[in-house]
Amino acid sequence: MINEITSLLKSKFPDSLLNVVSEDKRITLLVKKEELHQILSQLKDTGFNHLSDVTAVDYIDEQEFELIYHLWSHQEKIRAIVKVRIPRESPTVKSVVDLWTGAQMHEREDHELFGINFEGNPNLSPLFLEDWEEIPPFRKDFDTRKYVKEKYYLEEEGYPVAKG
Amino acid sequence: MDIEEKEIAFSTVPFGPQHPASGHFHALLKVEGERVHELEPHPGYLHRGFEKLMEYRVHPQNCVLVDRADVLDPFSCELGYANAIEKTAGLEIPERGRYIRTIMAELGRILSHMTWIGVLSMVLGFDSANKIAWGDREKILRLNEIATGGRLYPCYLCVGGVRRDISQEFVDETFKALDYLEGQLSFYDYFVFKNETFVMRTEKVGKMSAKEAIDLGATGPNLRACGIDYDIRKDEPYEAYPKVSFNVITRDEGDAYARSLCRRYEIAESISIVRQLLNNLPDGAFRAELSPVWAAPKGESYFCLESARGEKCFHVVSDGSPCPYRVKIRAPSFLHTLSEFPYLAKGSTIADIPAIYWSLDSCPADMDR
Amino acid sequence: MRKMGYLSDKFSRTFTPFGILKNLFRKPMTLQFPYETLPPLEGYRGRHALDLEKCAGCFICSMICPNKAIWPAEFKGRRYPQVNLGKCCWCQLCEEYCPNEAIKLTPHSMMVTMDKESAILGLGEEGFVPRHQ
Repeated sequence: MINEITSLLKSKFPDSLLNVVSEDKRITLLVKKEELHQILSQLKDTGFNHLSDVTAVDYIDEQEFELIYHLWSHQEKIRAIVKVRIPRESPTVKSVVDLWTGAQMHEREDHELFGINFEGNPNLSPLFLEDWEEIPPFRKDFDTRKYVKEKYYLEEEGYPVAKG
Repeated sequence: MDIEEKEIAFSTVPFGPQHPASGHFHALLKVEGERVHELEPHPGYLHRGFEKLMEYRVHPQNCVLVDRADVLDPFSCELGYANAIEKTAGLEIPERGRYIRTIMAELGRILSHMTWIGVLSMVLGFDSANKIAWGDREKILRLNEIATGGRLYPCYLCVGGVRRDISQEFVDETFKALDYLEGQLSFYDYFVFKNETFVMRTEKVGKMSAKEAIDLGATGPNLRACGIDYDIRKDEPYEAYPKVSFNVITRDEGDAYARSLCRRYEIAESISIVRQLLNNLPDGAFRAELSPVWAAPKGESYFCLESARGEKCFHVVSDGSPCPYRVKIRAPSFLHTLSEFPYLAKGSTIADIPAIYWSLDSCPADMDR
Repeated sequence: MRKMGYLSDKFSRTFTPFGILKNLFRKPMTLQFPYETLPPLEGYRGRHALDLEKCAGCFICSMICPNKAIWPAEFKGRRYPQVNLGKCCWCQLCEEYCPNEAIKLTPHSMMVTMDKESAILGLGEEGFVPRHQ
């Protein structure tokens, strides 16, 4: 079953698949950004109807974000992991809300915490943080300890004492 | 006689964070009389930023703090983190450690379901069942105390095995508690699940079909009540689950009553799993010793497990240093509360909102992390 | 016949909660707290205790603490660890990684105070001396 899926994808999208790894019950794909929506739509038609998660990892040395989509097929009991790299300067990607409704909340969380823009998502307002003026907090150039020390603590001989 | 067209007057009712029926979660309901037209959730009261904080700490510290990510089922969080790191490194755990981890995970599932019976009854106005269920939950908290030293936050599983061995006193007390709980299950059947008022308030309330459930991202007992048998303990087995035999409970109706019955029968299955494991417990070491600054090699891994609420997954990226580079926790309550609850609440009455919310069994600490 | 069965079923189901009345004559499952408690267990994670002779002053306990609740303090010319109970998360990592088994967690868990300052455990002759109730 896994070999059929990989050969079908290789025949339909010969340029976009950069790397394919098949294990016992898992397929991992690294794809190019341009045909991401078509590949996910093709996977949904093949039977992967459950979207587990949409994650983002910040590789600051390579100046790229990596978006990861985790899919599961209830029929065949196989997991598929689709990875894509997008530039860090202006991260934009087409949204998958038209394929899976549950993706809307995952993309809203990634937009708030990483700053990635999803085109086509109806509602990208902030979910957890209120009145946040700094850069998106889960990026690697945001230092949590420095922010907390400046805002909430007084330094006293190396032993932090809370303000107020 | 002409009927004039008037504008419908909407009012906004907060289902607020101080309300005893909502936990630490806030939602705004747009109502017209008694009918709810729209529900807008406002999460974020318990957001602590776990995933960012875990990048500054080494593995023993992370294992101890991560069981605050889901307060009502802490063993599943610790199990997930430990297994994800061990998978990146290819570590082997001794057999006795695997059996003890599985026993504690199943006891955590029973604990979470007993808490859920109590809270759902309280919200429907049935206070007696709340107090009796929480009194029976104390038996499992006492078992936690004997094995791990703490009632709610066990701090017990670590990378490499478990931190302390279990004693003969724990095994004896567990058998006694399981016999007591099995007798109490027939009492709950008669008192709660076949009670006229409970059935009237949960049957045909919050109904969803299988296709809608998969599209919205449901997992766990919420999905199994719609007829799809998705249980990670059977589909991608981990720990000591290949060595035990149990059934996966499914029902067909997809309403709140079906979800309640799914959880009630899961308690009986968990009791039988713990009995099978305790009767075949192997001897030997229970921990692989590691230094506190042990570093996993470069790589990433994705580990899924079945917690009491649904599918919980840990995605860990490691870059060769003692602290992880990125940890992502896929929480089941995130989609249950933010995606399914607004969909099911459209068109229902105000009195049905607590019944729908608690039959989905979401934990606000799990949703916000 | 079927209607009789349905009515009698509803009749019996409406009156079954009164069967609960037999619980009036059973022992309650709650304990009256200050007078009756469950016996404390040996391995319970409660307040810390320090053995002044075994402590070497290495401060591994301070480095491993996840919440930075242990800090050095002067006592009798040497430096010993001082624990802030308000920040402690009771995880027992300091006891697990101490090389000389000097700091331990005792089962004592009844700790009440009204101000933040007295939550820091003081140092005395026998080790940690609590400043709170």
